[in-house]
Amino acid sequence: MPTEPLLTEPLLTAENLHLSFGSTTALDSASVEVRAGEVLALMGPSGSGKSTLLHCLAGILHPDAGRVTYAGRDLTAMHDDERSALRRSEFGFVFQFGQLVPELTCLENVALPLRLGGAPRRAALSSAKAWLERLEVSDVADKRPGQASGGQGQRVAVARALVTRPKVVFADEPTGALDSLNGERVMQLFVAAARETGAAVVLVTHEPRVAAYSDHEAVVRDGRVRAREYAR
Amino acid sequence: MRRIDDLALGIRLSVGGGRSGWVRLALIAVGVGLGVTMLLIAASIPTVRDARDARDGARSVDTGQELSLGSPSALVQEVRSTYREDPVVGLMIQPEHDGAPLPPGVTQQLAPGDLVVSPALADLLASHDGAALQGRWGDRVVGTIGDDGLTGPEELRFYLGTDQLTDATATRIQSFGGAESFDEGLDPTLLLLVLVGMVVLLLPVAIFVSTAVRFGSENRDRRLAALRLVGADVGMTRRIAAGETLAGAAGGLVVGTLLFLAIGQLAGYAVPASMSFYPEDLRPVPVLAALTVVLVPVTTVLVTLSALKQVLVEPLGVVRRSGERRRRFWWRLVFPVAGVALLTPLLGGLDGSLGSQVMVVAGLVLVLAGVALLLPWLVEATVHRLSGGSVAWELAVRRLQLDSGTAVRAVSGIAVSVAGLIAIQGLVGAIGTLSAESQADTSTFQAAVLDIAPNGRSAGTWTSALAGAEGVTAVGELTSTWARTAADGATSDDAPTEPVGDDDMLVESGTCEVLAQEARIDACADGDVFVVVPEGANAPAPGSTYLLGPAGSDDVRWTLPASAEVVDPPSGGVDAMGGMPPRILVTAGALDGIRLDPESVTAYVALDPAVPDALDHMRTAAAQVDPAAFASPIEQERIASVLGGVRQSLLVGTVALLLLIGASMLVNVVEQLRERRQLLAVLVAFGTRRRTLGGSVLFQVAIPVLLGLTLAVLTGSGLALALQTAVDAPLTFDWVGVGVTSGAAALVVLLTTAAGLPLLWRLTRPEALRSE
Repeated sequence: MPTEPLLTEPLLTAENLHLSFGSTTALDSASVEVRAGEVLALMGPSGSGKSTLLHCLAGILHPDAGRVTYAGRDLTAMHDDERSALRRSEFGFVFQFGQLVPELTCLENVALPLRLGGAPRRAALSSAKAWLERLEVSDVADKRPGQASGGQGQRVAVARALVTRPKVVFADEPTGALDSLNGERVMQLFVAAARETGAAVVLVTHEPRVAAYSDHEAVVRDGRVRAREYAR
Repeated sequence: MRRIDDLALGIRLSVGGGRSGWVRLALIAVGVGLGVTMLLIAASIPTVRDARDARDGARSVDTGQELSLGSPSALVQEVRSTYREDPVVGLMIQPEHDGAPLPPGVTQQLAPGDLVVSPALADLLASHDGAALQGRWGDRVVGTIGDDGLTGPEELRFYLGTDQLTDATATRIQSFGGAESFDEGLDPTLLLLVLVGMVVLLLPVAIFVSTAVRFGSENRDRRLAALRLVGADVGMTRRIAAGETLAGAAGGLVVGTLLFLAIGQLAGYAVPASMSFYPEDLRPVPVLAALTVVLVPVTTVLVTLSALKQVLVEPLGVVRRSGERRRRFWWRLVFPVAGVALLTPLLGGLDGSLGSQVMVVAGLVLVLAGVALLLPWLVEATVHRLSGGSVAWELAVRRLQLDSGTAVRAVSGIAVSVAGLIAIQGLVGAIGTLSAESQADTSTFQAAVLDIAPNGRSAGTWTSALAGAEGVTAVGELTSTWARTAADGATSDDAPTEPVGDDDMLVESGTCEVLAQEARIDACADGDVFVVVPEGANAPAPGSTYLLGPAGSDDVRWTLPASAEVVDPPSGGVDAMGGMPPRILVTAGALDGIRLDPESVTAYVALDPAVPDALDHMRTAAAQVDPAAFASPIEQERIASVLGGVRQSLLVGTVALLLLIGASMLVNVVEQLRERRQLLAVLVAFGTRRRTLGGSVLFQVAIPVLLGLTLAVLTGSGLALALQTAVDAPLTFDWVGVGVTSGAAALVVLLTTAAGLPLLWRLTRPEALRSE
C-alpha cells in the first residue's frame, strides 16, 4: 500500500537531467525538488531551459539521461500511457495563451479533464461551474473562449487546471500574454486556489512580479538549476 | 497599377512562401489541374466526334450515287458482324475495272478472298483470344487498313474481295464517300444515359476545383493578417489573396494541360473499341478550351473571395464568422426545386429533341448542385441539435458546430457523385430491365441467323452449316415467303414481291419449337397452323387460298385450314409496332408437301452455355455460308452493347472521381490536423488518450459523410425514379447499386481518415508540445 509522502519530503524530483535537441543542449545536469503544496518559480532568461525542465517534470518530455520521480515513482521508466494517466489525474496545466479548445464553451473546457478521466457529464459540468465561480468567471461559462477576454480566458484555463484537484499544477508563463493588472488578478486567484486545494505549483516565468507569488525560486541558466532559494 | 502590384505581391507570396508555401501551391495546382484535365477532355468530345465522323464519311457508300459512263466502278455490300460485344463492320468489294475505287486506308485492289483488316482486327485474329473469329471471312489477309480509313485505333473493320455480288443486293459505286450523313443518333434512352453520365462525372470536378483552391487557406489567412498589421487594407488583402490563387490556378492550367496531353496518348485505347479515336483527334474545341483557360482562374478567384467573406482578417489575427452567421435554407432550396421543375416534363415520356436534352441536363445539374448547397445547411442544422456523448463525440460535434465548412466541402464532392451514380445506376438497371422485357423467349434458342437473300440455297443449308459449329446444340430453320389471296384465274406472276395491300401476308414455316419463337403458342403439333394478326391488320379468312412465293416462281397454291388458331405475337416484337402484315405460321405437316421458295430464312440456333465463345463460333460458321447473313443473339444487342460501353466508361470515371475526392479529403484532414497541432499537443499534455483524439477526427469526418450520403441516396433515388419513369421502365429501387456506391464512398472516407491518423499520432507525441 503506498504511503503518503511526508510534507517535508519532495513530491516531485528531477535528478541530473540531460536533454539535447540536435546539437543544442537544453538541460545539462538539471536537478530540482518540489514539495507538496509549495509554489516553486523556475526563473531564467529566454532559452535557458526552464520550459524544457517543466515539460520533463510533467512527464511530457523524456530526458536523455537522469531521473524524474513523482511520489516515489520513476516517471522516466513509465510507459507513455501511464504518464498520460498521471497527467490526467495528478497534474494540471496552464499555458501562456490558455490553449482552450475553441469549439467548446468555457464551462465545457473546464469540465474536459474530468470527462477525460471518466466523470459523468453532469457531474463534470457541475464541478466546472463551481470552479468558474471560484475564479470569478462564471459570466463566460456559456461563451466560447474566443468570446472571452484574455484575462477571463486565462482564469478559465486555471480553473481547468485545478478542476481535477491535482497534486501538481504546471504553469508556463501563465500571465505572459496579459497586462499587469490582469496578470496580478490571475496570479492571486491561481495561487490562492492552488493553496486551497493543497496543490504544488511549478511556475515558469521570467517576471519577478509573478515569481513573487512563489514560496521558492530556482534560477535556470544554460540548462542547469543554479540556485534554489526562498522567494521572500 | 496599385491593384496589379497587389496581385503581383500575392503571386510572389505564393511562390516565395518556403516549403509550406510550395506545398500549398502544388496542392492547388494538382487539384485545379485534375479538374482542368477533365474539362479539356469534355471540351474535346465534339472534335473527337467530328474527326471520327469525317473518316467514317470518307469511306461511306453512297447508294444514290450518279454513275458516269466509262468510269471504273465496283460493287460493294456491307457486312455487319460482332465479336463478343464489339461490333465488327466490313465491306465486300467486287472491283469491276482495274481502276475501281478504293476505300480510304486501302492501297490495292482486292482479289476474291483477299482480306484487308484494321490493325486491331489483325491483332485479334492473330491472338488466341480471337480463335472463334478466325476464318470467319477467310484467312488471306493481304494488308492492313491505314489510319485514314478507320475511326479509331481499336476499331474492328475489314474489306473483303469477292466475286459473288450481284446488282440485286449490292451497290455499284464509282467512289467512296459522299453518302448523305445518316446519323441515326443515339436512342433517346441512351442519349439520356450519356447526358446523365457526363453531368454526374463533371459536376463533382467543379466542386473539387472549388475545394482545391481552399487548400491551406488558414495559413494564407494568417499571412494576410500579418500584412494587415503592416498596413494592408481589406481590399488589398483580397487582391493579394486573389493573386495567390491565380498563381495556383495558372499552375493548375499547366498541370492540367500536361496531364491532358499525356492522357490523350492513352484515352483512345481506354474507351470501348467502337468509340476509339486517335490521340490527334483529342483536341479541345478552341472556344471551349479558351473558356476553360479563362473561367477556371476566374472561378478560383471568385471562390477565394467568397471564402474570404467568411473570415475577418484583422491585424491581430483572423476571426471566423461561421459561428455568428447561421446558414440560410431558402435560397439553397431554389436550385433543387428549379431542377425538379425542369425534370418534371420527363415524367410524361422522353424525346430526343434538343430542348428536351437541355432541360434534362439543366435539371440534373441544378438538382445535383442542390445536394452540394443543401449539405452545409443540413450538417449545420443537424450538429446544432446534437449534444452529449463521449468526449471524442463531443469534441467532434462542437468542432462542427463552430465550423463545419471545411469538413462539408470535402464531403460535397462525394455526395454529389454518389447521388449522380445512384441515379445513373437506376437508369442503367431500368434500361437493362426494358431490354430484358422486350427479349424473345431464349429458353430453346439463344441466337439466330437472318438470311434475307437465300438465292436459291437449298433448304437445310443453314442447319447443316451451323450444326457443325463448336457449341451449337440445335438448329431450326424458319422459311418465310410472301403470300396473297389467289383470286380466280390469278397466277403466281401476280404475287407481290413486297407487301402492297391489305391482303398481303407472310407465310412462315418451321418446327413447333421454331414457330414458338414467333408467337405465343401454348400447344403445337406437326400439321398445326397458327395466325398472328398484328394490331390494325385484317385477319385472313380460314378456307382462303393463297399464292405462295415470289413473282415468277412456280404456281404454288395453298389453302388456310379452318383449324388455324389465332395466337398473340411475342411481346416487344415487330408485330407490336403495328402496320405489319398478318403472318401465318405453318408446321411442315400442314404444307401438304409444298416446298416453299423462301424470301428469307431465319436459322434459330441453340448454344451450349458451357462452350466459350459458342456464339462467335456460330457467327463464323454463318459467315462462311454467306458473309452478309446477319447472326446475332436473340436480344437487343445494340442496347446491350452500348450499355456495356456506358458501364465501362462510368466505372473508369467513378474510380477516377473517387480517387480525386479521396485525395482532396486526405489533404483536408492533414491540413486540419496541422492547423490544430498546438491544441492537440495541449490536449495530450493533460492526458487526453490518443483514441479519444482519433475518434474525434473520425466523428468529424463521419458525421458530414453520413448526412451527405443520406442526402445523396435520397436525391439519387428520386432522380433514378424520375429517369425510370422517363424511359417508361418499371420503377425499381436498386438496393445493391445504392449499397455498393455508398459503401465505396464510405470506404474512401474511412481510408482517407485512416491515412491521416499516422500524422495525428506524430503530432500528438508529447514532444510536440515543445513547439508550443
